[in-house]
Amino acid sequence: MTTEMEKIIEVDMRGQVCPSTLLVALDNINRNRKELSSGMVKLLIKTDNRDATTTIPGTAENMGYKTEVVPRDGFYELLISQQS
Amino acid sequence: MATESIILMYAVGLLLGLAAGFLMHRSDYCMAGMFRDLFMFRQSFRLRALALQIVLTMLAFEAFRLLDLLPLYPFPILGAPSLAAIAGGALFGLGMVLAGGCVVGTLYKMGAGSLLSASAFAGLILGSGLYAEIHPWWAAFSRATTFWEGYITVPQLIGRSPAILVLVVTAAALPLFLSWRTRKLWEIKSRVRGYIQPWKTAAGLAAVGLFSYLLIGMPLGITTTYAKLAAMTENLFSLNHLAGLAFFQATPLNVVHPASQTLLLGEFKVYWRLPVRQFLITLAGGTLLGLASRMAPGCNIWHLMGGIPIFAMQSILFLIGLLPGAWLGSLILPRLLNSRQT
Repeated sequence: MTTEMEKIIEVDMRGQVCPSTLLVALDNINRNRKELSSGMVKLLIKTDNRDATTTIPGTAENMGYKTEVVPRDGFYELLISQQS
Repeated sequence: MATESIILMYAVGLLLGLAAGFLMHRSDYCMAGMFRDLFMFRQSFRLRALALQIVLTMLAFEAFRLLDLLPLYPFPILGAPSLAAIAGGALFGLGMVLAGGCVVGTLYKMGAGSLLSASAFAGLILGSGLYAEIHPWWAAFSRATTFWEGYITVPQLIGRSPAILVLVVTAAALPLFLSWRTRKLWEIKSRVRGYIQPWKTAAGLAAVGLFSYLLIGMPLGITTTYAKLAAMTENLFSLNHLAGLAFFQATPLNVVHPASQTLLLGEFKVYWRLPVRQFLITLAGGTLLGLASRMAPGCNIWHLMGGIPIFAMQSILFLIGLLPGAWLGSLILPRLLNSRQT
């Protein structure tokens, strides 16, 4: 899922429980920190762990990122991007 | 009381369990997460709800005791304090962090379709069965390290009415609770379907605990049922061995209260493609949980939602053990998970 301007990195963690969901999300945020901050990359996390829809956006927002949570069929998509 | 009929007792237990499971699932009221997040992420949001629940339960139990409406006080099964409770609590704290949920959290997450929680559930049954093997030895250790024989609660030990302690705890907690309200620390922004703020669940669980006490004669508990499941499972393979062990012959009946209603939210899905490492960790965690809840004896639900509110010394020791156990789990889990695996 890429466009000319930005790349979306998809992390599918459906089936995983906390705290691995938050730890894996943090690991991906940290590994892509430069690209996320530059606005070139967005992180799309798929999770079915309800808890993660609170912990991951909360932590990402504390780190200065913008987050969106979109309910899908049986899971949630969390989009993490640079603040506009 | 519902205990006059075994069917009625199970029906009441089931209803209360469904109510508790519904509330806990909707609020993500995961006790393993409460303690783990405190140590791992320095977050105490959900732990605040637990503090509220304990104080509300304390007030409810005491009010009904003063009105002479409680069937038995202290409730049955609790005993004098023993070092076994600290050891059991520590192992339980470690186990629940590794399992990703406590004995109830594992059930409601499994009900929501989590295979990792199913793995922890298998571990719970295994651990409960393993305990039966060490029961005579552990029971001897427990007896040898029991102190203040004949005293179950702190009020009994100091010879004062529980009302005094309840007043002291409430007076200390109230300013804190009000300060959290002023600072808007009771609620969190959530974007999931049907989310219930944890403070509301805390109040609901205090009511469930009270109804359980009034109708069944004791607060919610669950882990004895895991032990019974272990006996039934092993009987399939080794008839008469496990069921013949002293532990199972002395085990009282308890109440099952698993519940899950993710179907209502359209969230029930099972995902298979998961790191094997995570299955092994949750299995190990579940095994420790099953073992520890027999060693303590009792689980977090029993001690924190039932024993602590009446100042049971066994429950206080369980909590004292639980904290370092959960801390240790929080320390080693990230290393075990190897978070680069997704």
